[in-house]
Amino acid sequence: MTIELFGMARELVGVPSVRLDVDEPVPLRSVLEELAMQYPQLVGQVLAPLTHAPLDPNVVLLDGRRAHGLDEPIRDADRPCLLFLPSGG
Amino acid sequence: MRIARACSSYRAAANARAAKVLQVVRLIPRLAPAACAELLSVDLTSERVERAPYPLTAARLGGVSVAVELLSTAIGGPLDPLSPENPLVFAPGPFAGTAVPAATKHAVATISPLTGRLTDGLSSSHWSGALRRLGLSALIVQGARANWTVLAIDDTGVRFLDGTALLGLSPAQTTQRLREMLGGRHWRVAAIGPAGESGVRFATIDNDGRQAGRGGAGAVMGSKRLKAIALASGTDSAFEIADPERVQTISRALRERALGPDTAKYRVLGTGANLRVLQRMGMLPTRNFSSASFEGAERVTPERAREEPEAYLERRSGCANCPVQCEHMYVRRTGDRKAASASEYESVWAFGPNCGVDDLDAVLDAVGRCDAYGLDTISAGGTIAFAMECAARGLIDVDAFGTPLRFGNAAVLAPAIDAIARGEGLGETLGLGVRAAAEAIGGGAEVLALHVKGLELPGYEPRALPTYALALAVCTRGACHNRAAAYDVDLRNPGQLLSDEARAAAVIDAEDTAIAWDALVLCKFTRHCFDDFWSEGATLWSAVTGEPLDPAGLREVASRTWQRKRALNEKLGWTPAEDVLPVRLGEPLRDGPYAGARIDAASLERQRWIYETLRS
Repeated sequence: MTIELFGMARELVGVPSVRLDVDEPVPLRSVLEELAMQYPQLVGQVLAPLTHAPLDPNVVLLDGRRAHGLDEPIRDADRPCLLFLPSGG
Repeated sequence: MRIARACSSYRAAANARAAKVLQVVRLIPRLAPAACAELLSVDLTSERVERAPYPLTAARLGGVSVAVELLSTAIGGPLDPLSPENPLVFAPGPFAGTAVPAATKHAVATISPLTGRLTDGLSSSHWSGALRRLGLSALIVQGARANWTVLAIDDTGVRFLDGTALLGLSPAQTTQRLREMLGGRHWRVAAIGPAGESGVRFATIDNDGRQAGRGGAGAVMGSKRLKAIALASGTDSAFEIADPERVQTISRALRERALGPDTAKYRVLGTGANLRVLQRMGMLPTRNFSSASFEGAERVTPERAREEPEAYLERRSGCANCPVQCEHMYVRRTGDRKAASASEYESVWAFGPNCGVDDLDAVLDAVGRCDAYGLDTISAGGTIAFAMECAARGLIDVDAFGTPLRFGNAAVLAPAIDAIARGEGLGETLGLGVRAAAEAIGGGAEVLALHVKGLELPGYEPRALPTYALALAVCTRGACHNRAAAYDVDLRNPGQLLSDEARAAAVIDAEDTAIAWDALVLCKFTRHCFDDFWSEGATLWSAVTGEPLDPAGLREVASRTWQRKRALNEKLGWTPAEDVLPVRLGEPLRDGPYAGARIDAASLERQRWIYETLRS
């Protein structure tokens, strides 16, 4: 499964997307755990230390919508991306 | 009561002194309680200057609530924004000059020459701190000069200096020249650039490299022939913090959080990082809002400069006493380091995707030019995008600026900006903003003018963000994304269906929240550094001033300030018919995840009616 990265996630990992070796469909929680395991630099900065849920203002979008929760099963076709909520000043 | 008693005792002693010395002498001594502050009124026409007690009570708080209160009192009815009758108010945040981080800020309020309605903006840094340390809760400037003038204000009073020699200088050059003239770097300067001098209706006021004035506060200052306001105050604390230990503790905690993940996107990447995300989400307004996706986004995102350190030099900058330092400035390594340009999202969007330009260097140059001229980048970019579409339809001369005025032509940005700032040729018409320019051009140009109440739209696609769309329509300032961060409601749950009632209530909450932030004048980039803003904000204000304030009191001030804003606009002639969105947004988006999305005028009107009902 490919997950696109934006903002701090991309900054910390150093690439625009990563490929995770997971069986589909897979709960979002497992995707984030795999991500945290492969890229521990995300933990505490983009992903919560214990749950690996995205830290505000980071979110996971699936096909342009917000994931319903960490238990939602997802597929590569959902085009998951880890990004931050834009805000201006 | 405590504030009133303390202030009146200083007033009695000082009034006698004032009569003998200068009428502008500071009434309240240094190290008075933080809430004891004064209003400095300057009439440029008569040279009359007054200082009067104007304490920061729990009903006022500071910043925008003070500025709006003063403006509401001073204005009785419709006026020409560029006439001497239009007051220009500067009000520091109550935490400016204290240890509270990301709070050395001030509000600017006046009647906008773009909209004819209230415009309230914010700026930050050393000038804000100096204003507060001078013991002021606000500075109100009225009247106009016959000749170009600089106001120099310090503890000894107000001086009117000849500003003629500063004409044509950028705000940064003006600052440098004034410091040489006045004798030191401790002079902090707010100035207009050539665009404010020539009356461009979206000219800004610049201080310390920061700008206030979406809506043309710089043009108002220029209409008064006021080139700059220079302030000098001691760097030592000018007022007594009620509970310094508590303020230190809260400030330390805020500072630590502001150096963590809560602000990382601003601190490490800058707001320019929004561009890639909005492109991915299909919410990036492109070519004068004719699309929500820009094929050149990757080439023009400021992150590209960051990712190519061999090609670009990065300079970091930020406001005084702010740990975030969000300003990321870039210049080609082959260029002059001092020519590095700011790369805020809104500015890059305005000249990049909105003009169909994918040349990052040209976009950065355009932003730098605007800062030097003292132009609002959102309005400048929006106006050029409007002109590009007018030219494509044969409504104006495509060669007006010597190179084709076409979407995607990076070469036209510089000459167009130069002409706007100088008021030359077509630039003079575009300097009126898109609403007035469309009226002047005619031929149906009105449908190409993307504005609300005359203020050009910022860089979020309203058709994909329906709560934000309602907030834009009803905003007292016009199309401003900062008077209510209602887009946050939509972005957190893209595509979420909300009832009209819930959407209207969300807009009201977003507006009141923004006003509370703007009254305490805290940087909204630290919004995630608070667990419970209403409670923590009220506690912080009490710790600084010594006056009680609870979350309900803070909400009350926010709500009352909104009522004042609306009442002021009503005095100026506002009617509900102004709370509409541009015609173009009624056309469906053609591409991206929100293809087919459009603003339905009847639905918007229903939401607006519910909003009005809830507000009343």
